[in-house]
Amino acid sequence: MIVYILKRLASIALTFTVVSVIVFLMMHAVPGGPFDGNDMPVSDEVKAKLNASLGLDRPLYVQYFKYMWGVLHFDFGVPFQSPGETVLELLGRAWPPSLILGGAGVLIGAPLGILLGMAAALRRNTWVDYLASAFATLGLTIPVFVTSMLLILVFAVWLDWLPASGWGKPYSWVLPIVAYATIPLATYARYTRSAMLDVLNKPFVTVLRAKGLSERRIIFQHVLRNAALPMVTVFLPMFIGTATGSIFVEAMFRVPGLGAYFVSSINLRDYALEMALILMITMMFCVSYLISDILYALLNPRIRTGGRRG
Amino acid sequence: MKTRSPAYFAWRRFAANKGALVAGAVLLVLILMAVFAPLITKTGYEAQDFLVQSYAFPSTEFWFGVDDLGRDFFSRIVYGARVSLTIGFTAAAFSVLIGIPLGALAGYYEGWVDWAVMRLIELFSVVPPLLAAMLLGALTNGGFFTIVLIAALFGWVQVCLLVRGQVKAFKEKEFVRAAQALGASPAYIIRRHLIPNAISPIIVGFVLAIPLAMMLEASLSFLGIGVPPPVPSWGQMINTGMNFMYFYWHLAVFPTAALAITVLATTLFGDGLRDALDPSLKGR
Repeated sequence: MIVYILKRLASIALTFTVVSVIVFLMMHAVPGGPFDGNDMPVSDEVKAKLNASLGLDRPLYVQYFKYMWGVLHFDFGVPFQSPGETVLELLGRAWPPSLILGGAGVLIGAPLGILLGMAAALRRNTWVDYLASAFATLGLTIPVFVTSMLLILVFAVWLDWLPASGWGKPYSWVLPIVAYATIPLATYARYTRSAMLDVLNKPFVTVLRAKGLSERRIIFQHVLRNAALPMVTVFLPMFIGTATGSIFVEAMFRVPGLGAYFVSSINLRDYALEMALILMITMMFCVSYLISDILYALLNPRIRTGGRRG
Repeated sequence: MKTRSPAYFAWRRFAANKGALVAGAVLLVLILMAVFAPLITKTGYEAQDFLVQSYAFPSTEFWFGVDDLGRDFFSRIVYGARVSLTIGFTAAAFSVLIGIPLGALAGYYEGWVDWAVMRLIELFSVVPPLLAAMLLGALTNGGFFTIVLIAALFGWVQVCLLVRGQVKAFKEKEFVRAAQALGASPAYIIRRHLIPNAISPIIVGFVLAIPLAMMLEASLSFLGIGVPPPVPSWGQMINTGMNFMYFYWHLAVFPTAALAITVLATTLFGDGLRDALDPSLKGR
């Protein structure tokens, strides 16, 4: 197990390095530097001096190592769009709304999705199943900004029950959270349904039925526990996914969260912030995959003793 | 007894799936609309012929109303199908082009080739695709071809995994062993025996890559880093329509509905195709 974790950590380090190099190179592949604009033309000597003072005249690999050295010390530089603070401070300010939005969305959507998926699997090929499947497919295929748009149109514009945007009063949180909750809801409904059906078709369920166990005990004690296994693995990455999935919800409802800053950093070419966000989310994805794999191994005796995983 | 081809049974299974059948019909209508756009619309997508009637609501004359710049909105939605479908199909084609060779190589050789391809796939699974796409879009300033490339960059993984699995399963079969024993080169075996046997996952991977690419295009265009105006993109129209939502609902509703219907139809069609071509995967 420890060897496995160490191996995985090494692979994460490799992935992280490759991603950071690629992103760094991509951002430096764009022609032109920060002082090449025509708004405030500077002479070549001044430009050279400015570039030198920021280390921009050094070879690319030196710049990369300097940047990564900072990253390892949680120094992501200064965001272009608000130079008064560091990237980290800005993220600290923007994170809470995203966390509330994403967290509440997952906490509401995931249990509902699991229930829906269970209902669909247990009432297979009835209207419950079709309705649940239709709902899950809709939620998975329709982009979340479309869902948001429809919610805004119906509940804010036509019915005028809830505000269309903003993040002030808790009741203005309702629509964005509902819009976001559709993603985990659909994902979990679909996932639970197929996981449950997989287990329900296993021979041991037939054996349990033949033994005369009540359907309720079969479902809750045996099927659910076996079906829960693959679901554990999606939960953490899904939770991290809130950080990116909520971008459009935040943009639609004008929530001042991470997503909103990411969008503005794209529009303003705020590379420091963009790079920091991509690196952090990549890192979180790596770690969450590792944790869920470990959890999976801990929960699943077949893997615990098996050792190698492909 | 009459012999029936596997395609016949696949078609039977597909036809039994009402949802997929309807979705396929809708998709066909959308494709026809996109192909014959000039015939069913009265103006081009950028003709500002109705400036006086800007913001007009849907009527018998303007089925979907007129947009803020005096363009017939129905024409723009129809031409939007062209953009969306072209990007979807081209990106899916590129995904398949990248995915097949990598998947076949990884599946056939295993060892370090497989290791390298799997690490590459792992790389793409930890990078948030949307963020990366947004960064790429911003760096390259969007544009039609860039979007196709970005979508293919993130779309090949699925195809690659499907092909790899299929090749891995088939390369132990007797006919492949026989071909090897007869001295066929790996390239020949892959081309002649393994890829043809992987054709149904390839078709499924191709179709399922289409809605993903369309969604990516709409998302990027929605953020203003996708297809640049005046080329009509639904994502872009949704973004514009959002600003007028309180007063002119039609500018937001029609592109939203168009995007939702197209993506949904393509996905359902792809799901149905997968169930029909490979019954063992049903319900996943």
